[in-house]
Amino acid sequence: MEILIEHLGDFGDGLLLTVELAALALVGALVIGVLVAALRVSPVPVLRAAGTAYVQILQNVPLLVWLVLAVFALPDIGVLADLFTTSAVVLALYQGAYMAEAVRSGINAVPVGQGEAARALGLTFSQSLLNVVLPQALRTVVQPLGTLAIMTIMNTAMAAAVGVVELTATANRVNLAEAQPIWIFVSAGLLYMALSVVVGLVTGATERKAAILR
Amino acid sequence: MARTLLAIAVIAALSLTACGGPSTSPSADALVAAAPVAASIVPGTTMEKIRKRGYLIVGGSLDAPLLSQQNPVTEQIEGLDADFGRLLATYILGKPAVEVRSAASETREALLANGTVDVILQTYSITPKRATQVAFAGPYYNSGLVIATRKDQTGIGEPEDLNGKTVIAGANTPAIPAIEKAAPGAKILTFGSAPECLQALRQGRGEAYVQDEAVLLDSVRRTPTIVIQGKPFTSDPYGIGIKHGDAQFKQFVNEWLRTIQASGLWAKTWKNSIGTVVAGDAPPPPAIGSAPGSE
Repeated sequence: MEILIEHLGDFGDGLLLTVELAALALVGALVIGVLVAALRVSPVPVLRAAGTAYVQILQNVPLLVWLVLAVFALPDIGVLADLFTTSAVVLALYQGAYMAEAVRSGINAVPVGQGEAARALGLTFSQSLLNVVLPQALRTVVQPLGTLAIMTIMNTAMAAAVGVVELTATANRVNLAEAQPIWIFVSAGLLYMALSVVVGLVTGATERKAAILR
Repeated sequence: MARTLLAIAVIAALSLTACGGPSTSPSADALVAAAPVAASIVPGTTMEKIRKRGYLIVGGSLDAPLLSQQNPVTEQIEGLDADFGRLLATYILGKPAVEVRSAASETREALLANGTVDVILQTYSITPKRATQVAFAGPYYNSGLVIATRKDQTGIGEPEDLNGKTVIAGANTPAIPAIEKAAPGAKILTFGSAPECLQALRQGRGEAYVQDEAVLLDSVRRTPTIVIQGKPFTSDPYGIGIKHGDAQFKQFVNEWLRTIQASGLWAKTWKNSIGTVVAGDAPPPPAIGSAPGSE
């Protein structure tokens, strides 16, 4: 127990970095998700194909592989960003593919009549998407997006493998010095749980607030 | 599509860097042939349990060059730790029957405590803190950390020069606390494996890379753009991890170490692995029980 108190600062730093990484990745993923979902439902075949290709390629290669590629391969073609930035961008791109699928399922849940009505009123494709379809779509997928947010937080642990000293890497380092793996990793696990509980509560509250009564 | 192609090309390139270079010649059989066998084994001890089972379970690595690395062609595990594992098995069983279970720095203490492995042979540095949870036989080898840099790097010769620099180290290696101690102002960047660390140094993610001398000598031989700066600045005693409180087994393993040190087999084992990259004769083996935590 005293080990944890002794290394409170280390754990604090690690937790902070995990939260920063997750927050940046989430914001990025949400933007990418909405954009790619819009591509996938667009009337232009080329854009639809691009959206599908993005989701397929990002989802079908493991996150760790993307991280290792971005960290070790990109510098060989002249792209050298620091590890935190690289990890945040890769996480955002990766989670963006999952977000896109969730948002698309929300779009599919919006009754066809809504889109038809929007067109009948003379709205363009982007107008009807932005003002009619997406607001309803996003409201229906609050819960899946919350689950993806938790997945993003858990996936930040992958960044430990490419040298970002977030919570998992911190636990590793503390354990290297103290050799008390059970307590140290249980504590790290509890911190991750605390983060996901917070996200879960926020998701629940948001869903109640955003729910559409049909 | 271009992305996938790039990915494939890069994976191929990475795997080439990781596996390149010549493999050490496996003369491990000759070592085993010369290995001593314990005269008698006291009933009711860990040694008897191992003899009844018929093989020794060692917690170790499969990816540590020169120490314990599985040869992908022969599937034989090669290196200093692997050789010592086979010799210890021969001492107990009369044959080199070893099962290596992959251990990680996070799990070693737990693996010993719950009896998953009999011994840990995995660059396990003896420290008094660790000795409160495991018993250490040995030390069986004294290692030292050295600094490597790119060829064009200047101004790094001593550990103190690392202050204010970004230093690469293997995750969960003794290099991390050593750098923190020698150069508190250094920023430490860790990666999981030695090839990753080398790649990061080559690409300029850090100014220096701190690693065990033997491992680095091997890497430098394969990477002409990297050089070693100065001499080893630490002394790392590696011990054989044993279940905490098993004094009989610890004494038994220490006896075995003394036997092979006296007969010259220790030096031959060194020659077979680390001696393939370090020139000259084997260093004098460390005195058993000399490291704090191994008494």
